[in-house]
Amino acid sequence: MKQFLWKIGGEAGFGILTTGIFFSKIAARLGYHIFDYIEYPSLIRGGHNAYDVLVSDAPVFASKSIIDLLVCLNKDTYTLHNKQLIPSTLVMYDPDEFDFEEDRIKIKVPFKKILKELNGQAIMKNTIALGASLALLGTDLDELNNILTGQFSRKGDEIVNFNKQFAKAGFDYIYNNYAGQKVELLEKRENEKQLVLTGNESFALGAAIANCRLYVAYPMTPSSSVLSVLAAWQNKMGMVVRHAEDEISVINTALGGSIAGVRSAVGTSGGGFALMVESISFSGVAEIPIVIFLSSRPGPATGMPTWTEQGDLLFTVHAGHGEFPKIVLAPGTVEEMVELSVKAFDLADIYQVPVIVMSDMLLSESHKSMNESFVNGLVSTYKPDRGQTINKTDAKPYLRFKITDDGISPRLIPGQKGVFYQANSYEHLEDGHTTEDSSERIKQADKRDRKTATYLKNHFKSPEVIGDIDRSEIVFVSWGSTRGVLLEAQRDLQMKNISTSILHFTHMFPLDSNQITPYFSKQKRYILVENNAQGQFGKLLRMETGVTLSEKILKYDGRPLLREEIMSYVTKK
Amino acid sequence: MATPADFNGYTPTWCPGCGNFGIGVTLRAALAQLGFSPSSVFVSFGIGCSGNMNDFLNAYASHGLHGRALPVAIGMKLANHMMKTIVVAGDGDFYGEGGNHFMHGARGNHDITVIVHDNRVYGLTTGQAAPTARKGYKSKSTPGGIIETEIDSMSLAITQGATFVAQAFAGNTIHMVEIMKAALSHKGFSLVNVLQPCVTFNKINTYQYYVKNAYKLEDVHDKANINKALLKAQEVHAEKFPLGVIYQIEKPAFHEQLTQLEESTLVSHQNSSYILDELLADFR
Repeated sequence: MKQFLWKIGGEAGFGILTTGIFFSKIAARLGYHIFDYIEYPSLIRGGHNAYDVLVSDAPVFASKSIIDLLVCLNKDTYTLHNKQLIPSTLVMYDPDEFDFEEDRIKIKVPFKKILKELNGQAIMKNTIALGASLALLGTDLDELNNILTGQFSRKGDEIVNFNKQFAKAGFDYIYNNYAGQKVELLEKRENEKQLVLTGNESFALGAAIANCRLYVAYPMTPSSSVLSVLAAWQNKMGMVVRHAEDEISVINTALGGSIAGVRSAVGTSGGGFALMVESISFSGVAEIPIVIFLSSRPGPATGMPTWTEQGDLLFTVHAGHGEFPKIVLAPGTVEEMVELSVKAFDLADIYQVPVIVMSDMLLSESHKSMNESFVNGLVSTYKPDRGQTINKTDAKPYLRFKITDDGISPRLIPGQKGVFYQANSYEHLEDGHTTEDSSERIKQADKRDRKTATYLKNHFKSPEVIGDIDRSEIVFVSWGSTRGVLLEAQRDLQMKNISTSILHFTHMFPLDSNQITPYFSKQKRYILVENNAQGQFGKLLRMETGVTLSEKILKYDGRPLLREEIMSYVTKK
Repeated sequence: MATPADFNGYTPTWCPGCGNFGIGVTLRAALAQLGFSPSSVFVSFGIGCSGNMNDFLNAYASHGLHGRALPVAIGMKLANHMMKTIVVAGDGDFYGEGGNHFMHGARGNHDITVIVHDNRVYGLTTGQAAPTARKGYKSKSTPGGIIETEIDSMSLAITQGATFVAQAFAGNTIHMVEIMKAALSHKGFSLVNVLQPCVTFNKINTYQYYVKNAYKLEDVHDKANINKALLKAQEVHAEKFPLGVIYQIEKPAFHEQLTQLEESTLVSHQNSSYILDELLADFR
């Protein structure tokens, strides 16, 4: 399996992010698998943007350090990423802007000169670079031209053709001057049809599939693209998307929609989630289903908005005052995100609890290719399971919070004549009226608590074991987005004859001690891997199961873990 | 036809003489007279003495969090715009804790009737000054007298986009029932600020105080004129309290401007109606 890392960098505000996604889509359309990663500051103009795309003929899950082709739209790009370069790295740059001494394969493309000749704007440097990259990687301009047509067709043929000539100029320049340096990497190949999407887009897709009807949000990086994707889809789907005045309004609007009987969700990052916490408790006691998408970034407070961290796990698990059941899920890939978001809507309805789907900037904003058949398969077999949500009741009186063995009470969608009830945030009787009676309180608290046991019995999923746990020396313990880097590291370690397995958790809370502890009873080297400073999952695991992990790989500089870091940790001991 | 008694829930636990009794009776009467039943309305209650009406009024309801009754009502209205939706909250809840939602709910002209119990104190927490308290009002939390000026909630509603703003007095239920019926019949964001004596904690803004300082709007008041409405609203600063519909105009409600709600309510869609291929096109 061959992996190739293409990276482009330049000044923020000059189209780097658009160029990157174009490259990812072109590679996927040509039959390759991709994983991309973006680095950008919390600024609109100025500062440095970089976008890398890992291309492979087999599925890929995380980036790598060494760059194979670096496209420098400015000098900073070279300087900032120099330590990721080796003598065989192709470096594309404009010698009129800067030059360098180190031993690299120089691909000199006169971006400025070409721009001037063709009367282009600075932003079109990207298109030249993309055309030149495709020439260097041994493919043609067909897919890029298709994308440019799609992007600019609304503005007329003239604009389409104007943009295409920059791609062609870059392409021709390589063809005429660097034919000998070509790497035959992007030749069209047979592959299953691929989709290219981010974790956020996967959540949006999951919400659509699950028949979510109301999505409410306040923009917050890195969760905002869920809002923009669903807002763009709302008419196609017959969904309502409300951009409310603050996150408190966001979640209460969604709770109102849920009381009315529609599947409702919200999305945010850590700060916005903090504002929602009181309402999560309301959802808990009044047993109102809700799905909360939480995409973390490094905190505390405003933190580092455009970078990544898994720093909110314990906060999420404990979000909400008082004691009530909730479910926390953490997908690790775009496929898991689609699958678990769909499941989240079912679980919210079945257990009438808040269900939180955790992501982080890495998963939320990186694109990964996914077999289109995966989505088709899921859609063709999926039927929303709304649990005990009912349109009609014959019960007299109807008891909204009826005491049941499994803790779940039939939830009537408001509207039936002759019936009424309230969703009460005060402790309440079975019929919903407020109570402060000691025995009624205990009955309701126990009833709510029984939902946790029911969930553990019916829907909790033990960690996925990736690899052969019995034959591996090392067992990595991961959750959420660290799955990707561990899969890549596992492959690299195998090549050095170090066999590993991965215990990948997605069902984060509540945890079932009985199901989990056997995985940790083997004489193995267990290594906890988390993108945070305090090893939060390790603490949660100890709290819920008594399992203690002493070896940890933790990273909290805002950057994702690298496979090289895993390798060096494992091999240095 | 439902009668006011059909809306009777538990016996109220308000203090004897509390203005909330008048508001409760009036709301039940207005709902019955307009042909609603406990199954055809949704009431989102705030937290406080006013919100405690949740147990005394029969209806589909939410008794949620302090300050957050309005967004819950907005969610209900978006999901089921055929449901008559009402907010019952206090002045501290709606103008204080929930002030941001008030402003933006008015901007959206959501089709919701908001009934604010304005007693100028926090009753349930034993009498601290509310945002409606007159400047200088002494309370447990403001022993030297509150420094802020009293909130002019009706001007705020009018200037932020509410399309119906009225004031009523809990001591005059016959007049209040007409105002409430007008508010409930209005399409769009309607605010009814109800002046309500707190007999236990507010010894200044009493029934006698309002009998002296409140007055019924003259029939000639031009309620469609925003400037005249604002002048009336601002009389609160001069301790004058006009009663009646101060402002009313017609504008499309929020849900009427959503094309996806033209044919039916969200909740009546049983199945997803998307075409998968159209969604996936973005990712190819």
